[in-house]
Amino acid sequence: MNKIKTFFSTLLKKEGTKTVITSLWCALLGLILGFLLLLFINAKEAAYGMTSVLGNYLIFSNPQDRLNYFGQTLAKTAPLIAMSLSILVCYKVGLFNIGGSGQYSIAVIVITFLGIGANMPWYLTMIVAMIASMLWAMITGALKAFFNVNEVISGIMLNWIALYITNGILSTNSIVWDSAHSEAFTISTTSNAYIPSIGLDKLFANNSIVGLGMILVLVVVVIIFILFKKTTIGYELKTTGLNSDAASYAGMNKVKNILIATAISGALAGLAASLNLQNGFTSWRLSSTPVDIGFQGISSAFLGGLHPIGVIFSSYFIVHISEGGSMITDLGFSPEVASIMTSLIIYLSGFVFFIKELLRRHEIKLEFAKATRGKEG
Amino acid sequence: MSETYAIEMLGITKKFGNILANDHINIRLKKGHILALCGENGAGKSTIMSILFGLFQPDEGVIKKEGVEVKIQNPNDATKLNIGMVHQHFKLVDSFSVLQNIILGDETLKEYQDKPNIFQKAFNFLNKHIFKIIDVKKAREEVNKIIEQYDLQVDLDKKVKDISVEMQQKVEIIKMLYRHNEILIFDEPTAVLTEQEIQDFLTVLTHLKEEGKSIIFISHKLNEVFQVSDEITVIRKGQYIDTLKTSETTKEEVSSLMVGRKVEFISEKEKKTPQEEVLRVEHLSIIDPSSKKKVVNDVSFNVRKGEIVTLAGIDGNGQQEVIYGITGLMKMHSGSITLEGKDISTLSIRERIKAGISHIPEDRHKHGLVLDYSIYENSILDRYFEKDYSQHLFLKDKNITKYGDELIKKYDIRSSGDGNTLVRGMSGGNQQKIILGREIERNQDLLIAVQPTRGLDIGAIEGIHELLLKQRENNKAILLVSLELDQVFSLSDRILVMYEGEIVGEFDPHEVDRETLGLYMSGARKDQVNAIKENKHE
Repeated sequence: MNKIKTFFSTLLKKEGTKTVITSLWCALLGLILGFLLLLFINAKEAAYGMTSVLGNYLIFSNPQDRLNYFGQTLAKTAPLIAMSLSILVCYKVGLFNIGGSGQYSIAVIVITFLGIGANMPWYLTMIVAMIASMLWAMITGALKAFFNVNEVISGIMLNWIALYITNGILSTNSIVWDSAHSEAFTISTTSNAYIPSIGLDKLFANNSIVGLGMILVLVVVVIIFILFKKTTIGYELKTTGLNSDAASYAGMNKVKNILIATAISGALAGLAASLNLQNGFTSWRLSSTPVDIGFQGISSAFLGGLHPIGVIFSSYFIVHISEGGSMITDLGFSPEVASIMTSLIIYLSGFVFFIKELLRRHEIKLEFAKATRGKEG
Repeated sequence: MSETYAIEMLGITKKFGNILANDHINIRLKKGHILALCGENGAGKSTIMSILFGLFQPDEGVIKKEGVEVKIQNPNDATKLNIGMVHQHFKLVDSFSVLQNIILGDETLKEYQDKPNIFQKAFNFLNKHIFKIIDVKKAREEVNKIIEQYDLQVDLDKKVKDISVEMQQKVEIIKMLYRHNEILIFDEPTAVLTEQEIQDFLTVLTHLKEEGKSIIFISHKLNEVFQVSDEITVIRKGQYIDTLKTSETTKEEVSSLMVGRKVEFISEKEKKTPQEEVLRVEHLSIIDPSSKKKVVNDVSFNVRKGEIVTLAGIDGNGQQEVIYGITGLMKMHSGSITLEGKDISTLSIRERIKAGISHIPEDRHKHGLVLDYSIYENSILDRYFEKDYSQHLFLKDKNITKYGDELIKKYDIRSSGDGNTLVRGMSGGNQQKIILGREIERNQDLLIAVQPTRGLDIGAIEGIHELLLKQRENNKAILLVSLELDQVFSLSDRILVMYEGEIVGEFDPHEVDRETLGLYMSGARKDQVNAIKENKHE
């Protein structure tokens, strides 16, 4: 009995366990607040609404439908994982990558032209897109490294610049622009640029948007995991992020590390765009605000405890409730309610570190109390 | 007839854990006098002043103001008793104007004064409790009056970040006067000033005294102390030593009281003749990028194999910057640094590490360790790039763990777990052992140790002294920076005293006494630069 107790108490003291617990807390808190919102708007349907948000594809009675929508949720998770990793890599060197949206849209230009305009093979399209968004992200990196310009400010500005560049270039080019729907053409399943499904579609009721992309992104997760766990580059990036004075004491090159980190994170944002567009599911639409995924990536990265493996689950959770949320419009809730609710949950998820800090303070207080009591006794 | 004391602190005792920071200290400040509080670093000066200012509560002792016992629970109480303090690091809001900073927290509110009618009365009430509209014009008038009375010229509309350190200090003084403080405490006010500015500051002090203010002046620069003070209270290692009338004592006497006469334990170390030169620093000058002050001025010295050379001096006299210059953490303005015959002045930090510098930094939390790393990860902080620990970009985990375990065993590094324990939760002594082990095991010819025992208890200190002496036996060249005379005497083969960025004396520890060293450290003898005769070591 005692053994079990000590096992649990050591487990609880582990940093990783704490992160998992706080992440779960945040998700739960978000869900509760979301439920309260639904209650407030339409008490009668609230319970059912909540079920469909949580249930997503599970609410379908037909197993084929279930599989189909499950596949869709998974396919949409892949780009968010890539974007979360982009945020995570920057965060490790102490930078807050809020420019994910901009990096994403620059990649969109490349994908649209190469994939639709030039009908290039999917891997070439993907690689060139990643390089383009990498270079775009390095503008922020260079500004930070050489002129110490705050990366949040430059990231936000570059988001808007990238947005208008993308809108402008794509909408004025009739080869790629479908003016009838005022959006870019979608990459079709038969296109060269389409990420092959390699038979995975069969597993998900012939839902062809499930494909190699998911596997690719898992490989990238492993690569990022190894980067930070096993390599000197990862060690340098982490050191710079945790204590930049100690990094310079050890002779690490801060400028180099910032450039490396922003480059990697830019490439990952590009990958997110590629995974999103090259499965024929969506394309670029004229938009007046930077794309959501860049910000969702921030929530997902934090909810995932800034751990490469953690973001797989947090990204899935976020996509799961967003997809579920899109279904509650049928219940008489306006579509805005769905998005308010899901974003409420998503942004509360970002509170992980706040709650962790609270827990830490509580722990210190307890230890302090214990120590002083020990002295008096 | 007894004299009136502005403030009396009697029998003040303060413990932090097991450390006795203040042991029955008496401080008596006469009205309209300047009392200098002198003592070495860590003597407990700042603690006793923090108690007076309400930042700490004493364990024992009473504080009396004009003979009446008072309780000071927090800085607000101190302010109510008209006690004001200028901290070593100014407490100003950079992006506010001078005037805003002065009135911050004690704003003059708009108020109708002569015979207000009912509406004006209502306005007065509401403004006092709710609106709090500031009467900037009136506040400015009040401040201007102070500026004229005490001759403290500052530009009220400039932002604090745009004015010099000297001006900022004036702002702090005006702040105290604006709050009608009668008892003014200055915590090492001259540390940040240049020679000329110090003279101006001392004039201001005298002026304040003439206007009837009572002043406590914390300093270990004896020249200044003797120039302005009426009495001198000396404390040493938390103990009250004595209070002397400035007119009846000498710098030599105060200096010897500060450092203590008793012969301290000097580690047994075998005689060694130093061998070939490892480090040579020539005409090194460094300019601080933020204050543009020359913090290191034309410093030259060398360190040879098998000797410990100590840069002694009071904190903030350029020792730290000399080390930064050698290790590359700070840009040199001029001069050259030669390591084993090779000029390393233009090399990067990494190249200097590779060229053979081991560095135990002053601030283990800032430079020496990554607190959120494990012992293992910290043990390779400045050698992860070596062949033993990484290859083709990949870290060799096995070797790192093995090396970390070796360090833990050899240097008796204790933590709550194994080498995967995060360093943040460990005690200071054990944290320091990680750095010491890491740097010593790198086995370089030059070992730089900056205050290696800072903040550690006696047991840990002795262990570290032994380690350093062993390195000396192993024929390493050791450059030590120390603020503590005990340490200076027990370890050094040669002592270099730094004052205001310059080396003002070179001594053999066997041929110099504490008093002389103390005088050089406090700048009292800076006109007579001492040097060991060259032929002695050649």
